Amino acid sequence: MAKQITSSSTAEYFAKNLQQVGFSSPTKAVLTTLKEAVDNSLDACEEAGILPEITVTVNKIGAGSSKSSDLVEIAVEDNGPGIEADDLAKVYGEYLASSKFGRGQCTRGQQGIGISAATTWAQLTNATGVKVTSKTAKMRKAVQATIDVDIKGNKGLLKNKETIDWEKPHGVRVEFRIDGRIQLNGDGGLLTYLEGTTLVNPHLKLNYKLVENDWVKIERVAEQVPDIPSPTLPHPHTMKLGEFMTHAGLFGKIEFGKFLKTGFSRIQDATLKELVKNGMPKQLIDLPTNKLTEDQFKTAFQVIQKTELQQPSTKSVLTVGEESLAKSILRLGDVDFFSVVARKPRIADFKPVVVEVALARFLNRGGGDEPIQLLRFANRVPLQFDKAACAITRAVETVNWRAYGLQQSKDSLPSGPYVFAISVVSPFIKFKNASKETIDGSEELIEEIRRALMQAGQKLSRHIRREHKEADLERKIAHIEQFGPILINYLGRITKASQLRKNKAEAGLKKLLGRDAQAAEKDLSEAELRLQALKERQAKAGMLFSASGATSDDGGADSDGEEMPPAFEAEDGEDTPKGTTKKGAKPEPAAVKAAPKKDAAPVTTTATTAKKAEIPASTVKSAVTTTAKAAK
Amino acid sequence: MDKVIRIRKLTKDIPKEAKLLCETMLTELENANRPVLEAVKCSLDNSIYNPKVGYLTPGDKKVRTELNVSSVQKMARVIFMLERLLVNLESGSVNTKRELYYIAKGVIRGDRDLKPLDFADQDESDSIIDFIGDMLEVYREELNCFANDRGGQTYSQHLVVTETLPDGDRAVVDLSTLGTTPFQPKNKPQALTLKAKKKIDFCLVVESEGTAGTLVANGMTRRHNCIVMGAQGVPSNGVRGWCKLIQEQLKVPMFFFGDLDAYTIQNIYRTLKAGSAASLIRNSDFSAPEVHFLGVLPEDVKRWDLPFYNVNDRDPVEARSLKKAKDALGNDPFFQDKKNRRLSAILEWLIKNKIRCEQQSYFSVNPRDPQQVEKIILEKINKGLYI
Repeated sequence: MAKQITSSSTAEYFAKNLQQVGFSSPTKAVLTTLKEAVDNSLDACEEAGILPEITVTVNKIGAGSSKSSDLVEIAVEDNGPGIEADDLAKVYGEYLASSKFGRGQCTRGQQGIGISAATTWAQLTNATGVKVTSKTAKMRKAVQATIDVDIKGNKGLLKNKETIDWEKPHGVRVEFRIDGRIQLNGDGGLLTYLEGTTLVNPHLKLNYKLVENDWVKIERVAEQVPDIPSPTLPHPHTMKLGEFMTHAGLFGKIEFGKFLKTGFSRIQDATLKELVKNGMPKQLIDLPTNKLTEDQFKTAFQVIQKTELQQPSTKSVLTVGEESLAKSILRLGDVDFFSVVARKPRIADFKPVVVEVALARFLNRGGGDEPIQLLRFANRVPLQFDKAACAITRAVETVNWRAYGLQQSKDSLPSGPYVFAISVVSPFIKFKNASKETIDGSEELIEEIRRALMQAGQKLSRHIRREHKEADLERKIAHIEQFGPILINYLGRITKASQLRKNKAEAGLKKLLGRDAQAAEKDLSEAELRLQALKERQAKAGMLFSASGATSDDGGADSDGEEMPPAFEAEDGEDTPKGTTKKGAKPEPAAVKAAPKKDAAPVTTTATTAKKAEIPASTVKSAVTTTAKAAK
Repeated sequence: MDKVIRIRKLTKDIPKEAKLLCETMLTELENANRPVLEAVKCSLDNSIYNPKVGYLTPGDKKVRTELNVSSVQKMARVIFMLERLLVNLESGSVNTKRELYYIAKGVIRGDRDLKPLDFADQDESDSIIDFIGDMLEVYREELNCFANDRGGQTYSQHLVVTETLPDGDRAVVDLSTLGTTPFQPKNKPQALTLKAKKKIDFCLVVESEGTAGTLVANGMTRRHNCIVMGAQGVPSNGVRGWCKLIQEQLKVPMFFFGDLDAYTIQNIYRTLKAGSAASLIRNSDFSAPEVHFLGVLPEDVKRWDLPFYNVNDRDPVEARSLKKAKDALGNDPFFQDKKNRRLSAILEWLIKNKIRCEQQSYFSVNPRDPQQVEKIILEKINKGLYI
């Protein structure tokens, strides 16, 4: 006898397959829970136009129920608009209950799976769902309750509901107690996540305390809530036939032509005429959409696919912006120098996308031979697992970083104490899995990321080149001082020359090598001038971090495209305002973490040279002066 | 101290040449001009192969080092090391390269001002010594710098070697009296004169020293009027000079017996026959142009059904060897010369078939007969199965 076929609820499916949505290990469970809670808070604040202030605590409070896990408490509190009491169960306990599903907006959450999955994990591992405290501006008191997931019915269950006094005017606090393991550093670490979130959310004020560490308070560096662009309609070229038909089903019996015009972007009356010209039966346009047969749908779909349509609008994508990125990166630690690039929104695979890149060298991170730290972001959410399979990683590996002065083995990440932060924002990002860990990239998207990386690499290379020139000068000066006397001495020994001859030869040698040192000095000052020019252009373009600290908002572009590959020269010259800065540049908002080091006065070349060689600056200066004088 | 035996009749007075060079450099410096050091460019792209000459000779290219901030370190090192070598020449002392490396370190350690000159490893001091030789166009041995003895263990029942000692005395060594102990030429084979007690039919140079010993132990030198020598891999200057001496003084046919692989043909056999690109200025005294390649030949593999194995081109060493063979076909004048087309054909065959067959594989032919390899060698010599 055949077995009975049963159907399961969405919650049942996810409860059995939590590994698909980021709960595949105790370590990932902690990170995913934190991530879902913070994402929700940020999205809620942005939608309500509130500058987010989020407080995070993560603590180990005992032993976990399962083997080799701890009971971990994750609490996230925001100053968002709050959630109405009636909606709490739906938000935290029901799968696919989302206000954002398929809307075509650049929000972090999209499907309404993540936070319910976190509740399910808490319930499965600790027998209790999530404890939520919420208060909207209209409420006098806050509502507090525990929410479980009714797994059979895919519904949220509100328990222990009570009203409490809460000093906050509005906001939400969630507390999860789950089985997990706390990892702070590394690719999957909580700190890496919080740092990444800080970087791409310059408007975020974040306070956190992880385990026994001290409280960390990170001030916001942007005072404006990002304006989330309005949703965009899908472009017909991004759909498959089945999706096209399902989409049509939402429009009922309206005329097919009208459905095309209202259900998609880039289809107007003129487009319909073009479609008819390309073979779509004219009578189809006037037929009610729900009366179309499968064959008719197929014919229409095929004609649409082969008809050239205008590219979709790029207005729906949201960017962090170079200025904000530049300010934000300084919150991550002692930055030596950095370079940021925000590309203009582009179309890749008929989907609008914007790529932003921040490359920074840190003073106290990683070693020379270790790979750079790669921070990947999709719609401003850090991606922390399965790095190798991600389109962003592939793009970084395929750029020749050696050309920009970095070390790199073939087809690998470059190495050095750098952080590469790459953000891809699009209302239609294609992930490889439901847990949104890796971007599935087409060649077009990878190329767009590569272009951004190369632009940022060029700017970074100005700093690196200046350093190389500085080291070159240092080496040359050292050579003159060290080897010149030996050469003369041994020539004198072999030829049995008098001291007078040796003195004369030494003077001649200094004269000769002094000229070389002068040439090296000239190279260095040229490199410095180029770097300075870059900084000035950046200041002009509204970046706040020029060497002089000048600010301006008039926009601008880096016209110095001489190092760019020819293919990018014209395009990128007009395309992207660029900016870099050097450690020591002063950010506008005063309260920045680790401010004393960043506020240090810019070092001069000579002083730096001397410091590196561990000899007094005066010695170097005098050596250069001596050789310069000799040259005269 | 005894006078060091001369390798060749050198018309150059090395100390005088060196002093002249330093004098010129000093005068240039006094006038604030940049002194220049020039040396023969010892590389394949400056190698000429003329089959009538028989070995690689230098072309016109020079390595030119002009004084600037980048080259001042090299120049100081060259003049420093030159002074050390001149001290040796004057006193008649000799040293190996490694000893000179440590001598230099000792001198530098004793003088704080010399510290920047210090050599991090022997390669650094070796390259300076080689540059001095190429610059003065003299052999390293003429600068009293000798390599370690390696290879050249020689066995014969009919060879008598007379060595002229530095004090003028002569030492006579009859190789037939040494039993199974080989005669090993020192690194100055030019100080030796050779005599055959009886007509010697051939000289066999075996790549593997072990196999040479086996052939002798099994009685090859007793049964045949021959010389058997072990090369011990890439022939050292001593082995190359020794073969040259045997070839010139005894005028006996000489055969090289080694593996069938790109490395042996390109690095071992080519160096023995025509010298190397790195020693262009001394190949005339350190190569034996008449030596034949006896095998293993590709046709031997089929003829005697020799076991072979496939070259694993994923192995970095073997892959590099194959690549070098390809490069040799493209840019080595020795393999490009028509006279050596059979050798280049073997290289092509090896690159195509990616196999290796070792000299010891002949032992598989008739494992019960200890003289089988000797018989095959004789058969190949008698039938002209060589290149």
